[in-house]
Amino acid sequence: MSTVITVQQLSKRYGTVQAVNDISFNVERGEIFGIIGPNGAGKTTTIEILEGLRKRDGGLVEVLGLDPQKNRTALNEKIGVQYQATSIQKKMKVKEAVDLFSSFYSRKENSKDIIEILGLEEKMNHFFGDLSGGWKQRVTLALATLHQPEIVFLDEPSMGLDPHARRELWSIIQLLRDRGCTIVVTTHYMEEAEKLCDRVAMIYNGEIKALNEPRLLLDEMAVNYLSFYSNEIDELQLAALPGVVKVENEEFFFKVFTETMQQTAYYLFKHCEEHAISLTDFKFEKGTLDDLFVHFLEKGKKDERIG
Amino acid sequence: MNALAKLTILETKMFFRDKMQVFWTFLFPVLMIWLFGSMFKDGKIGGLTFAEAYVPSWIGVNIVTTAFFTLGTVLASYRETGVLRRYQSTPLKPWKILFAHTVQGTVIFAISAVILAIFGSLLFHLGMPKYLGSTLLALVISIVSFFPLALFLTSLGKNTQTSAAISSLCLNLMMFLSGATFPLQMMPDFLQYVAKALPLYYVIELLRATWNTAPIWERGTDVIVLLGIAVISIVLSSRFFRWSDKS
Repeated sequence: MSTVITVQQLSKRYGTVQAVNDISFNVERGEIFGIIGPNGAGKTTTIEILEGLRKRDGGLVEVLGLDPQKNRTALNEKIGVQYQATSIQKKMKVKEAVDLFSSFYSRKENSKDIIEILGLEEKMNHFFGDLSGGWKQRVTLALATLHQPEIVFLDEPSMGLDPHARRELWSIIQLLRDRGCTIVVTTHYMEEAEKLCDRVAMIYNGEIKALNEPRLLLDEMAVNYLSFYSNEIDELQLAALPGVVKVENEEFFFKVFTETMQQTAYYLFKHCEEHAISLTDFKFEKGTLDDLFVHFLEKGKKDERIG
Repeated sequence: MNALAKLTILETKMFFRDKMQVFWTFLFPVLMIWLFGSMFKDGKIGGLTFAEAYVPSWIGVNIVTTAFFTLGTVLASYRETGVLRRYQSTPLKPWKILFAHTVQGTVIFAISAVILAIFGSLLFHLGMPKYLGSTLLALVISIVSFFPLALFLTSLGKNTQTSAAISSLCLNLMMFLSGATFPLQMMPDFLQYVAKALPLYYVIELLRATWNTAPIWERGTDVIVLLGIAVISIVLSSRFFRWSDKS
């Protein structure tokens, strides 16, 4: 594998706000790289610096061997960009848009391929303005990929899509990756990052808080927990069980975060049996990126309070 | 076919798909001429018949409407809805976008001018321009000064609404104070001075003159003023071209 994007100590500020603060990462050819984080975390700023749309204040950025700030025109031939919530002209037909955008690139590729993958044949004579959100997304994705770019940047691609359209979009993105394209995608849907991305960088407050394969990220962090209902158990006694990191209680629904699931479960049941406490709906829960995300948010807020 | 030609043809096509826009662009001036014709039909305006004075004037007003609404406001909406931003990440150069819209605007304007001239000749017995070459040259100069001016002024708007407001303000101000609707002679001295500060005044003077009385080289002041506006607004509109409403 070779590196297609290098980012070193990138920073960007708007006035007094440090939008991106000293972040570094690489993207390898052929992977789906996710940039995740809450709204306003610095995801869009980062991706727009990679695309050459924004100037950076400091650090080094190389995309396909080019500096996006200096060689945007050359870079635009080789990348494709799908923006957050932008559209094309409402009165433009899909086939006209495809034809127009094909004419922008010197590399003449066959756009029929991408139209087939995206299933756009049946919509070629429709006006863009008449399409549903999911179809609009497909059309703009076609426009971003019809020149067979080496890297495709997708900024919040599934925003506003229904769950079905979202899943279809994921399989299309994976198909593009299988055809040799590198994908950089930002999202604040953790489920999307988990199911779609090969690696994710979690950004919060303009800094990378974690970077790894989604599965490994979850393994690394103590976000696994036991969940159950009980209206008799005492929260303090739960917290005293071996291995317990944190206990959450919401109307008798308990989440017991632990590093040693089996051991804690054993002592939990033992405790309940000895004291004749009833538990219902007991589950071993594997944490999701959502939990990890909330974990960072809470940690961030705590740090702010302390600092 | 290259990108520039494709974009120009497509933008022109899309204009005709918007029926409301087509109506306002082509029929509104005709209605106005007909309306003013029924008011001033037999009067003489500065020694000219009604049609000799008003048809060239309204052709001039049409340059303004095309510049501000067909070009300026549309580009502002493209800026707001992200159409331009999408172009920004392709190899398409910004001058090609501006050029395509300028050609599209010129085509649409030319059609509206021909409609007005035909209407004038059918209803009010207006003749062809006396100095046809001069009139055509005057139109080109007017377009070159007004299109970039409108593109620059509308780009100052934060969104489509403010751009439309800027357009309406400019259009109304110039339409009523440049002698296109009400003869300047009817106005107090003060307003006559205001008229001379508005670019449309020079367009109308130049068009009325070349259509009826004098070739373009006898109208040096008008030409110089318009060319000056052209140079300044071309510089400003390309210098301050923005792809999106964000930063």
